Amino acid sequence: MKDRDPTPTAAGFSRRRVLAGLAALAGLAVPPTPGRAETDPTSLTIATWGGVYEAAQRAALFDPFTAATGIVIETARHDGGPDVPGRPEARGWDLIDMGAADAGAACAAGLLVPLDTAALPAPPPGGGATREDFLPGSFGRCALAHSTFATVVAYDDRAFPGRKPASIADVFDIEAFPGKRAFRRNPGALMEWALMAVGVPRAQIYDLLSTDRGIRLALRELDRIREHILWWEAAEAPVELLESGAAVMASGFNGRFFDARVMRDRPIIIIWDGQLVAQEAWAIPAAADPAHRAAAERFIRFATGPDRQAALAERLPYGPTRRSALERIGLHPVAGVPMADHLPTAPHRMDRALVIDSAWYANTEALRRRRFEAWLAEGAED
Amino acid sequence: MVDANPGEGPRRGKADRDDTVTGSLYRMIVLSALAVAVGTVTALAAIAFVDAVNWLNDALLISPRVRVQLEDQRLLVVAVTVLVPTLGGLAVGMMLRHLSPERRPLGPPDAIRAAQTRTAPPSARAGVVSTLAAVLALGCGASVGEYGPMVYLGALVGGVAARLNARIGNLRTIAIACGVAAAISTAFNAPIAGLVFAHEVILRHYSIRAFAPTTVAAATGFVVANVVFHRPALFLVDFGGVQHGYEFPVFAVVGVLAALVAVTFMRLILTTAALAERWRIPASLRPALAGLAVGVVALGLPDVLGIGTEALRFATIEGAFVPWELALLLVAKIGLTALCLGWGFAGGVFSPSLLIGILFGALVWSGLDGALGLATSGLVVYAICGMMALTSAVIGAPLATILVVFELTHNYDLTIAAMVSVVFSNLLSYQLFGRSLFDVQLAQQGVDLSAGRDRAMLDGMPVTACMGEDVPRADTGEPVGAVLDRLTAAGRAEAVVTDADGCYVGMLRVQDARAREHETAGAVARVGEVVLHRETTVWGAMQALKGFVGDAAPVVDDDGRLIGMVTEAAVIGAYLDTMRDLRREEHEGP
Repeated sequence: MKDRDPTPTAAGFSRRRVLAGLAALAGLAVPPTPGRAETDPTSLTIATWGGVYEAAQRAALFDPFTAATGIVIETARHDGGPDVPGRPEARGWDLIDMGAADAGAACAAGLLVPLDTAALPAPPPGGGATREDFLPGSFGRCALAHSTFATVVAYDDRAFPGRKPASIADVFDIEAFPGKRAFRRNPGALMEWALMAVGVPRAQIYDLLSTDRGIRLALRELDRIREHILWWEAAEAPVELLESGAAVMASGFNGRFFDARVMRDRPIIIIWDGQLVAQEAWAIPAAADPAHRAAAERFIRFATGPDRQAALAERLPYGPTRRSALERIGLHPVAGVPMADHLPTAPHRMDRALVIDSAWYANTEALRRRRFEAWLAEGAED
Repeated sequence: MVDANPGEGPRRGKADRDDTVTGSLYRMIVLSALAVAVGTVTALAAIAFVDAVNWLNDALLISPRVRVQLEDQRLLVVAVTVLVPTLGGLAVGMMLRHLSPERRPLGPPDAIRAAQTRTAPPSARAGVVSTLAAVLALGCGASVGEYGPMVYLGALVGGVAARLNARIGNLRTIAIACGVAAAISTAFNAPIAGLVFAHEVILRHYSIRAFAPTTVAAATGFVVANVVFHRPALFLVDFGGVQHGYEFPVFAVVGVLAALVAVTFMRLILTTAALAERWRIPASLRPALAGLAVGVVALGLPDVLGIGTEALRFATIEGAFVPWELALLLVAKIGLTALCLGWGFAGGVFSPSLLIGILFGALVWSGLDGALGLATSGLVVYAICGMMALTSAVIGAPLATILVVFELTHNYDLTIAAMVSVVFSNLLSYQLFGRSLFDVQLAQQGVDLSAGRDRAMLDGMPVTACMGEDVPRADTGEPVGAVLDRLTAAGRAEAVVTDADGCYVGMLRVQDARAREHETAGAVARVGEVVLHRETTVWGAMQALKGFVGDAAPVVDDDGRLIGMVTEAAVIGAYLDTMRDLRREEHEGP
């Protein structure tokens, strides 16, 4: 086994980072000289996912960037998909925070600017190669992965006073766990879970989903519970649907569920089984203003620095893509919980996780989408 | 990791027959080191083999995971599906024809022959070429298996290691068994099955001297595959146990039916090979034609391409196949595998058997569950029973197959169920066909192990090995009186008569010569006596000499020239030596 980077053991180290972060937030730290050059734009528009995720980005990335450069960050809202950078509302976006798999497909479709992603980030502070510091697969042709998140199923604890759902098979078991399931209106994750529910081991999921028979099998399994599904599209919807009682289980992103549970004390519990681990990435839309390009790259460099990645992970449990950032993650600035344990990539979770194959995802997007929509339409006819 | 060179062990003139404590200690050390070395090398080679095949499958657009990503390039996928197996077949045919001294793919039968008859295995070059040909064949999606070539790979490593001059009896057999055990252990993550397979198929006896190193090699293969490389488990299924007592007789019926399918499959492999001969298709083109057939069928039925890992998994999921799909794929896989193997596409019969068997088991279950409406314990157990029953009939290793189930699934209930199917399948297929496809193939090549190993060994030993030359000779024109004088002086009762070219004419016996002293030896010599050919085996000589009354039988070459004489005593001596050797090997201590 290759030895991982030595972890700094001193707890004081991470606490110092927290304090420094808090100080910076409070504006106590000496602001570095704003480095906005004459040619720089006064503001950049970043398209991201809204809600608590955007709030965490604002605190950990956007405001510190403005403090460092004088460039104001404005945000726009999107709900994911490989076609997002090409939509009309994307006009004026300088940067987009999107799934690495979607970014791969968008890149192939010419919707993103090709970047020398390996040259973008700052080198690790302790020395060593930048490429080694990042997790494998972080450097896309158009996008640089900055964090790992998990698509999970969470349930309303109040709905199941006795036996609690604990596996993906339970999610598909309507008899034992009755109630509506809120799923993202997207074939991603759902098809994988459907195969898991019929007993396919995680290692074989993508091999089987690569066959026509596998897709049919997944859709058949979804068909079995079709009438119990509610569809959502915006990332904050699953928490709302669980809170309102409209659904008893919902798929969603682990950070949002964490926020509801830990920050707002809602009875929402994540089922850590079959979670789909994927990467989020920074990319520049092809339609972006070329005059903003240098500033956008500067932002990517800033936001993928180890301390910024760690600062984001301290606010929302999305794992950094840099090893040098992992060891800097301390406590949540408000809740005070050690955030490393809540990351989807925490070692005790990985043996039940499924890491998505980004390239496969990007190249099969159209096929899966087509089959999924056809299946949805089939149900509409009935 | 221990990686001692076995050649560096103490060598103080230890011969194998040395039964002293130091002698057996020396053997233990050398054999253990040999087992670790063979196990390690075989496991690494087997892992490289599998990785190379997977890499080729991806690079040549055979694996579904790559093909699905080219969904919008339909024409490319069609072209690749037909061309890759065809051109791959052509390359395999050319490789074997031009690079291999054996001109054919090697497999478990060659390992069995070397171990059972103690003859030298095919050259290392032939083994390497055959292995590379198998990598190519599997990489190009031929409907063949990977375990046969991996077993031979183990035998190859063992055979090379056995060149070590360690002065230990039967070293080659033990080393080959070590390699085979490590190969199965690595391939299936199943060390116990590897150990048992080597004994059941290769060694066919359980002497402690062979058992210990074979076990060490199997464990080494397992350690390399699991602990060092973290190879994923091959087959994970959930099974909650057999729910109805009446299902056990049903498992037996599954076994019986699987045996019938297995016998059909094996006969078809032999038939396609015979057909290719009859139709005079050049050997180097046969794999290409088989590849073309695979490619064309795969256009409509992509599951037939390659090893079929996906189909293997689908067969354990209820509803993944409808019954007619199972039947269609079953027939297609049997036909194409028989074609590929019979027509010399390098590869094994093990993994196709697994797939055919699991499809068959699933088909039986859908009949029970659907048509008969019988309450069962679910699809999985029937699929596994079918898979193992069919495979064990083909490879002739019931115990190893049962253990493979246990080690692959870690499920005791499943193992018991499969055991019932396996044993009935083996019983029937033994009656209808033979011990295994390997043994029948060997018998076709003249090594018949069904009559026992002694027969096979004697059949592999030329009679010239026990030939003597001290029989008095006489020329055809020589007067009989002179010959008699010589015989009397030598105290012998017969002379062999040859002509001027040295060709055998007949035997001149003292009792025939009385009162005919003035005739020539040629006129008096008895003709029509037992004459052995240079290529007659000891076993053949034993048959020919039944009822023979003379002192010695002549051995002649192709032109009829006398090359020596064989006495009955020498043949019996060779027989006794062989028997004693075999008994000794099979009861050897450490």
